[in-house]
Amino acid sequence: MDWMKIGSAILLTMFIFMVFPRVRQELKHGKKGSQQEWMGALALLGGVALFVWLLMQSV
Amino acid sequence: MQQPTPVIERARGQSIEINKVLKNTYLLLSATFIFSAVMATVSTLLYMPPMTYLICIGLSFALIWLALPRTANSGAGILVVFAITGLMGFGIGPLLNHYLAMSNGTQIVATALAGTGLIFFALSGYALMTKKDFSFMGGFLMVGMLVVLVAALANIFLNISGLSLAISSVVILIMSGFILYDTSRMINQPESANYIVMTVSLFLNIFNIFVNLLHLLGFASDD
Repeated sequence: MDWMKIGSAILLTMFIFMVFPRVRQELKHGKKGSQQEWMGALALLGGVALFVWLLMQSV
Repeated sequence: MQQPTPVIERARGQSIEINKVLKNTYLLLSATFIFSAVMATVSTLLYMPPMTYLICIGLSFALIWLALPRTANSGAGILVVFAITGLMGFGIGPLLNHYLAMSNGTQIVATALAGTGLIFFALSGYALMTKKDFSFMGGFLMVGMLVVLVAALANIFLNISGLSLAISSVVILIMSGFILYDTSRMINQPESANYIVMTVSLFLNIFNIFVNLLHLLGFASDD
C-alpha cells in the first residue's frame, strides 16, 4: 500500500470523526421538513444531476 | 413624524443583519477564490508532487477544526480563512496537472469550472430569491456525508472504479444540498450565521463540487 492510500485513509478517518458529532446533533435537534419542502429540494437536486449528466455528455 | 412600531423596527434590524452577513460572506468568498486560484496556478506551474494534495487538505482541515472556531469572531479569522483557502488552492495543483495532461484536459478543467460556477449561482440564487428555509435538509445532508466518507474509506482498500464514480456523483448532490442549506441559513438565521464560518462552508461546497466534477468529466472523456 502506498503513502497516498495511507494518507487518504488517515484523512478520511479524521473527517468521519469530525462529522459524527454534527450528524448526531442534526438527527436529534434538526428541523423536520414537510413532504412539499422535500419535493422542492429533491427537484432542485434532480436538476443538478441532469446538468452534470449533460456536462458529462459534452466532453 | 410617526414613530415606527417595534415590530417594524425588529424586521428592519433583521433585514440589515441579513444584508450584512450576505454582503460580507460573498465579498470574502470572492476574495478567497481569487487567492485560491492564484495559489492553484502557482502549484500547477511548480508541478508539485501528488502528495501535496493530501498534505494541503490535511493542514486546511486542521485549521478548520482547531483555529477557525477560536478566531471566527475576530479579525484573525480572516487570515485563517485565507490560509485555509490558499492551502486548498495550492493542494489542487497536482490534480489540475493530471487532468491538463489529458488530450482534452483544458476542456475538462474549463467545463468543470464553468459547471461548478453555474451550479453555485443557480442554487444560491434560488435560495436568495425565494428565501425558502432549507434547514430541514441538515440531518439528511450530514448522514449522506457520513455514508460517503465511510464508502470512500472502504474504496481505498476495495479500489472499485464504479464505486468511486458513484461517490463523486453523490458528493456533488450533497454539496449542492449544502449550498441551499448554507445560503438559507444566512437568510433565515442571520444571528447564528458568522460570515467567516459561512465563507469557509460555501468555499468547501464549491471546492468539493469542482474536484468531483473534474473526476466525472475525466472519466466521461474516455482518455
